Amino acid sequence: MQNTLALVVTTPPNSNLTTTAINLVKRAIDKDVAIVGVFFYQDGVLNAAKHLSIPNDEYQALQHWQQLSNEYHVPLHLCVSAAEKRGLTDELSNNENSNIDKAFIVSGLGELVELTSKAERVVQL
Amino acid sequence: MSAAIYEEKQTDKTIAIVNTQAPFSSADGKEALDAALIFGSYEQATSLFFIGDGVFQVIGEQNASAIEIKDYLKTFSALEFYDIENIYVCQQSLTERNLMANFHIDNVQVLANEAFSQRLHQHNVIYRF
Repeated sequence: MQNTLALVVTTPPNSNLTTTAINLVKRAIDKDVAIVGVFFYQDGVLNAAKHLSIPNDEYQALQHWQQLSNEYHVPLHLCVSAAEKRGLTDELSNNENSNIDKAFIVSGLGELVELTSKAERVVQL
Repeated sequence: MSAAIYEEKQTDKTIAIVNTQAPFSSADGKEALDAALIFGSYEQATSLFFIGDGVFQVIGEQNASAIEIKDYLKTFSALEFYDIENIYVCQQSLTERNLMANFHIDNVQVLANEAFSQRLHQHNVIYRF
C-alpha cells in the first residue's frame, strides 16, 4: 500500500524551512510516497506571491513549487484568509493581474482539515 | 491519482495544537485558534496545548486595545461550542514566568512536564504555532 503524506508550510519563501519542505516533497515522490497536498498557512502563503523577484543566483522557491505542481501534480492549497491579510488576492484569479501564481489553488482552512484527515502522515514546517 | 483513493483511507485522527508564542507579539496565537476552531467545526477531536511564552495566551485580564490589537482572546470562549474541551497548560512555563493560574477560560488543566508530554503524545497529529 502506498504511503501518503501531507505538508503544511508556514514559512515564507526566503526561509530555509521552505527549502526543507520542497526537498522533503521531492524525496518523498522519489520514494513513491503519494503527496496528498501541501497547505500554505501563516507566512507560508507568501510562497504564492508571483511578483516576488529573487536575485538570479539565489534559491528560487517559486520555480520549485511550480515544478512540483506542473510535473508531479502536487496540489498546492493556499489559505485565502491568511493570503488576503498578506496582500495576496484571489479576486483576480485566472486574471493576469492576480498576484497569486497559478500553480496554487485558493482554498480555506477546511482544506487543512481534509489533508490532515486523508494523509497517513502530516509534516509541518 | 484521484481523490477517491484517499477517501477510503480516511481515518479519525486526534489533533494537538501547540501554542508557543505570546498572544500579541505575532499573529501565531490567532492563526492557531482559527485553525483549532475549523478542526472543531469539522468535528475532529482537537486539543490545545500551551507551553513556553504560549502560556501568556491563557492569562486573564489582558488589554490588547492598549496596543491597537483586536482582542482575539475573547474568541477562546467559543471553544466549548466546538467541543474543544481539552486545554493543557505547562506548569513549568507558568512558574518560569512567575504567572499565577489566573485564566480567562474555564477547563484549563495545568500539567507538570511529564503529564504534559504524555497528553501530547496521545495525539496523532501535532501542529505547532
